[in-house]
Amino acid sequence: MGEVKWEREQMLVDKILEKAPYAEGKVRRERRIEFSIPADRIRDFLMLLRDNDFELMLQITTVDWPNDGELELIYQMWSVTHRTHAMVRTRIPRDLDKARMPTVKDIYPVAETYERDAHDFFGVYFEGNEKMEMPWILDDTEQGLFPHRKDFDMLTYVKKKYKLLDRFDEDKDNYVI
Amino acid sequence: MVSQNELIREARENGMDLLPIDKDTYELFFGPQHMATENFSIILKMDGHRVVKAIANPGFLHRGFEKLAEYRPWHTNIALLLRICVPEPDVPEAIYSMAVDEIIGWEVPERAQWIRTTVLEMARVSAYLFWIMGLSFKLGVYTAGQWAAAYRERLMALFEQLTGARVYHIYTIPGGVRRDIPGDKWLRQLKDTVEYIRSKLSDFDNLVFENYVAHRRLEGIGVMDKKFALAEGVTGPNLRATGVPYDVRRADPYLLYPELDFEVPVLKEGDALARALIRRFELEQDLYILDQLLEMGPPSGPYKVEDPKLKNLPRFKVPAGDAFAHVESTKGDFGAYVVSDGKHKPYRVQIRGPSIAHGVRVLEQLLVGARIADVPVILMSLDNCPPDIDR
Repeated sequence: MGEVKWEREQMLVDKILEKAPYAEGKVRRERRIEFSIPADRIRDFLMLLRDNDFELMLQITTVDWPNDGELELIYQMWSVTHRTHAMVRTRIPRDLDKARMPTVKDIYPVAETYERDAHDFFGVYFEGNEKMEMPWILDDTEQGLFPHRKDFDMLTYVKKKYKLLDRFDEDKDNYVI
Repeated sequence: MVSQNELIREARENGMDLLPIDKDTYELFFGPQHMATENFSIILKMDGHRVVKAIANPGFLHRGFEKLAEYRPWHTNIALLLRICVPEPDVPEAIYSMAVDEIIGWEVPERAQWIRTTVLEMARVSAYLFWIMGLSFKLGVYTAGQWAAAYRERLMALFEQLTGARVYHIYTIPGGVRRDIPGDKWLRQLKDTVEYIRSKLSDFDNLVFENYVAHRRLEGIGVMDKKFALAEGVTGPNLRATGVPYDVRRADPYLLYPELDFEVPVLKEGDALARALIRRFELEQDLYILDQLLEMGPPSGPYKVEDPKLKNLPRFKVPAGDAFAHVESTKGDFGAYVVSDGKHKPYRVQIRGPSIAHGVRVLEQLLVGARIADVPVILMSLDNCPPDIDR
């Protein structure tokens, strides 16, 4: 059904997939397309998108999937020319030493800010981006703590941080009411 | 009498690091308490009164909305996410609701679509008046700012009648809106308010937008071109001021916008003046859209979907899936990416605010070479929303 209804989008996906055989692509609905690619081809693929009139990078979204042991990175792209939104999905391991991606800030300069965001909250390290310090998280936050990851227990953290020590049982490592 | 330099030398000898008198440049911390920066902080490296380098220093407003949203049931997130952008709180409500609607597959009733469109346009007018207030204060034209605040108050009163709240409306919900419009009297009042604000636009023109002093203050500062703007992810009026006619309401139509007639103003200069004028033209277009909506009248029918799911909101579940929705706000392209794993709470909510692009890298580059007096003006011409950077 999609082929007839969203012909323009399907043609756009076919055109891009022709040049990127490593990618998988589909049409989601009118003006929404989606690609899945391996993490090491992200630079090639975004360069291809830029050359195919996807001028704007709207955001880099990170989603944590602890059950799969993976982080999903979604590059939200918009084409002013084609009036189409493209999601570029890729997955990387969740372990801190393996959660590494090549930077794309030379392809889309604005990616620098979004990469800092992903580094700040999820611990993804972008190789080639020099500004990997923490802009958003407060200085007194414990180092190596990535608050948007699913295993970050916000309640325990808040209780510890605003320590109501008379109520905090250190032996049980928990809060006693 | 002791000279200032001697005082400084004495202070430095006593271990106080006051002014680097032996260097040409000095550091100036601008904000977050400075009223011109609006809860935002910039570290400026100055040479005399010229900015040599600017470093945006966000994070003072961070309240972890995206993380909090993962801990709360679907419907209660409306009351949280709207705090992302205070002058225009209806936009985060709308994008979140539209994304949830798309995951569930709900077709929002026509009446709800009409109400949502009207509320979004009212929010745009209100946000532009708020912006005129900010710009006027930074230009020193306090009268215009006070007028704008007073006219905005009329819209606040209408919002209060509609939603029960002045600023944080909590009105647009997944599936429609929270309650129906109060009646014909409210529609008449809205029509009167639109007429009233339109009749006052010429006063703003005389005092701000056609004012020689204001032009001299705005012209030629903070210039960016089309290529730079696209590469830096600039959207909204800031992008249209560089000559790119990109408006989400036209490019990716939603709600009733395909049926409405309006122009997308575009200028080519890309300086602070062009950005200010684009906003002035858009205010007029928004009033015109409200005219059309009022002429069209609210269609009859329900104001939210009739679904048994909505009967028990705390147990409200959304099927697994993800969706991206975006709308045009006065700041730019505002988007939300929502992931559901089929439970009572969202798995992940990511808000794409336009200010994160405008307020960090773009600002740092536009401020270089500016005079210290132009810093608040450039900041205001970009129309940032600091809470949106610090989500």
